Amino acid sequence: MIRYPLVSSNLLSSRAIRCLTLLACVENLFPTFQSLPATGADQVAGMSLVCFSLVLFTYYTVWVIVLPFVDSDHVIHTFFLPREYSVILPGMAALILILCVGLFIGVVTWKNRKPKKVD
Amino acid sequence: MTKLLEWLLGVSVVVTAWGLLTFDLLDLKVPQVYREVVWPMPVYLLVVFGCYSIATVGYRVATFNDCEEAAQELQAQIKEAKLDLKKKGLKF
Repeated sequence: MIRYPLVSSNLLSSRAIRCLTLLACVENLFPTFQSLPATGADQVAGMSLVCFSLVLFTYYTVWVIVLPFVDSDHVIHTFFLPREYSVILPGMAALILILCVGLFIGVVTWKNRKPKKVD
Repeated sequence: MTKLLEWLLGVSVVVTAWGLLTFDLLDLKVPQVYREVVWPMPVYLLVVFGCYSIATVGYRVATFNDCEEAAQELQAQIKEAKLDLKKKGLKF
């Protein structure tokens, strides 16, 4: 196995270092370059996220805040589950989210485990 | 006072107010309708914050501009850098 010297300036030329820092800066917008609107797939994905969050917000607001003030024999109550579910469902969703994140971290850590070096 | 202390103070004030109203610890005799609205408040605020986050991310994804020239220039520079580094022995 080739051992590389610890001093990084021997390993990378200054041009390579500049290129790699440019790679790191790609996250930011370049105001000096001409820019086009985002491509179709990006716009669709973005707008669908916005619409989804609007729908979710409206439904949940009506469920939690508006419904208690509406008469209990109004027809709108048929569209909403009993009130307890307005706390249980987000709680379950949060638990599932945390489970998924933990699972992902576990899988990635497992894949990247290296056997200890034998010298 | 540090930011952390400020946030903790604010959060504890809100939580105390919510606890007092939900569990009726001060015997304020709040009408039942308002108590029905108050008790899911922490979960409601979390859901609203989640919705706001999703909306902001979605909106910024939709309005993020493409930079065609910069993308091509970057691809060329990535190729250059890879050749350079391969010569020095770095494995990809």
